[in-house]
Amino acid sequence: MFGYMGKILRVNLTTGEIKVEELKEEDAKEFIGGRGLATKLLLEEIDPKVDPFSPENKLIFATGPLTGTTAPTGGRYMVVTKSPLTGFIASSNSGGFFGPELKFAGYDFLIVEGKADHPVYISIKDEDVEIKDASHLWGKRVGETTDKLLEEFGDKKARVACIGPAGEKLVRFANIMNDKHRAAGRSGVGAVMGSKNLKAVVVRGTKQVELADKEKFMSVVKEKIKKIKENPITGGGLPQYGTAVLVNIINENGLYPTYNFQTGVFKYAYEQSGEALAAKYLVRNHPCFACPIGCGRVSYHPAVGITEGPEYESIWALGATCGINDLASIVIANHLCDEFGLDTISTGGTLAAAMELYEKGIIKQEELGDAPPLRFGNSEVLHYYIEKIALREGFGDKLAEGSYRLAESYGHPEYSMSVKKQELPAYDPRGAEGHGVTYATSNRGGCHVRGYMISPEILGVPVKLDPHDVSEEKAKWVKIFQDLTAVIDSSGLCLFTSFALGADDYAEMLNAATGFDYTTDEWLKAGERVWNIERIFNLKAGLVPEKDDTLPKRFLEEPMPEGPNKGHVVKLHEILPKYYKLRGWDEKGYPTEEKLKELGLDKYY
Amino acid sequence: MVKVRVFATLRGIVGKSELEVQADTVGELLEKLYNEYPKMKKELEKGAVILVNGKNIEHLEKLNTKLKDGDVVSIFPPVGGG
Ligand code: SF4
Repeated sequence: MFGYMGKILRVNLTTGEIKVEELKEEDAKEFIGGRGLATKLLLEEIDPKVDPFSPENKLIFATGPLTGTTAPTGGRYMVVTKSPLTGFIASSNSGGFFGPELKFAGYDFLIVEGKADHPVYISIKDEDVEIKDASHLWGKRVGETTDKLLEEFGDKKARVACIGPAGEKLVRFANIMNDKHRAAGRSGVGAVMGSKNLKAVVVRGTKQVELADKEKFMSVVKEKIKKIKENPITGGGLPQYGTAVLVNIINENGLYPTYNFQTGVFKYAYEQSGEALAAKYLVRNHPCFACPIGCGRVSYHPAVGITEGPEYESIWALGATCGINDLASIVIANHLCDEFGLDTISTGGTLAAAMELYEKGIIKQEELGDAPPLRFGNSEVLHYYIEKIALREGFGDKLAEGSYRLAESYGHPEYSMSVKKQELPAYDPRGAEGHGVTYATSNRGGCHVRGYMISPEILGVPVKLDPHDVSEEKAKWVKIFQDLTAVIDSSGLCLFTSFALGADDYAEMLNAATGFDYTTDEWLKAGERVWNIERIFNLKAGLVPEKDDTLPKRFLEEPMPEGPNKGHVVKLHEILPKYYKLRGWDEKGYPTEEKLKELGLDKYY
Repeated sequence: MVKVRVFATLRGIVGKSELEVQADTVGELLEKLYNEYPKMKKELEKGAVILVNGKNIEHLEKLNTKLKDGDVVSIFPPVGGG
């Protein structure tokens, strides 16, 4: 099988059994790889109703056919499991170098099953796979864990994906960190890893990815790299300022969520922008494997030394939404989240909800004891509570449950700015209706990378769509973006390539690598299949579209108080039915039999 | 006078982040800026996002969008991220 290693590594932590299985070609053709194929396997192998923390849940590290190739940004992999935060499908994407190394070792997928009776790690050197004791690493932070494992492994070229203390303590939004600073960040995949007593996976491989048509692939790749380099975003803004270049444009457009989304304008945004980060803390760029863009930032602050980031989302989550302006505090907080293994978006989103609850008098100081008051703008709060959350100490134990469970425990779930219990990222949908639909319908809950409608609605790429339009045309774009994103994620590429590349470009690379002769439409259809199988997983897990495909009340009922979007609410009720119809789902949001038959998915539902 | 804010790579070209310009439309304003900073034209030819008081001129009257005293015009070269 070209593009694929053709093998699945299966490790059962309960029995200690290690197996290698064949990857089926027809599966690869239908679900591409990565996110898509892993979801299919998970759906077949677990009951979607299973408790995410039980040994019955499985954790799948999944690469795509372009992972580990020279395709631009071919360094991505996904972690797929049932999420302890949302109770639905989790698939977290990460870059760096871990994914390619897994392929070089000879595997497309690593499926982890069961639960070890003590802390362990999985060591992979090509065919040599072992479950090893990790008792000495339990409780250690990400940096130290990574360094110690590399030393023990005896090969500095190995790659490590591990959890920090937050994953061990089952914080519902703990992430998995690879290469120290790259995160499979969302939906609590790190907590599932912790529930299995799995501290890390270390991998080193010496194989190569075989390609169907090497020469063709090389020339196609060369041309795509050229496109990426010539594009002003992927060749200019992103390398120069990183993702944080967005801070100013999102704020000037009036959708930079501030004070837990109470408004969309932050008067200190300038001070935490990409421009400010580049001027004050940037040391150099740090590209992931085979990436010609290099949005990653290596930064320095005396309090933490050399670190990475912070990215746009993290700057916002540990900044504006908590009312914090001071960039130094954000850099430190971001470093702490990386070290403890916490998702920055959910950490910031949860703290912001707690701040609103505190300022409204719902959380009382007596409950916090000597801990700092949860006031907006109090940067002391950040550093103090990040550690408390990760260790589940004091009030941190409640925060570790995420904003929804926190707010609900006080009888006020409306202060959790989340969808399907997952904290929303850094765009207020009152300033971008299409983006609001992607939030409401995202299979993994509140998320911006399941159809990044900010691109056409705010940045004008690849077309300029009016952010307040809710026509069928808008709904059509939502579906295209969602399906295309599923193709990119499943292939093993980074979503940022899509600022420069279109569906045809991905199809060309995929065909040259795999030898499949899919048309662009057929690849997009595969993306649609991925979207629908995720939906099936969720429906079987208990999703009720009428209740779950929605947005926090604030966006539907409270008009934006100021700025360019003043007076706007999200007209979700107008656009959602159009979207369902385009998807071929019934008016309540359930896939129709006809649609499932068309996609070959009827046997799953 | 209209307040103009420039961002990202434009700051290097203009040498500051904010300036004031007298103009009746966005088109006129850009002409004045291009005269003074010719490199800006080249940078923005690749695509630009121009906001008047936070609203994208694409959804107003494009280059004919009228300006009045005290308006804030924000100009971005093509940017992206996520
Ligand atoms: S664009 Fe950024 S996140 Fe994407 S692969 Fe390159 S460095 Fe990694």
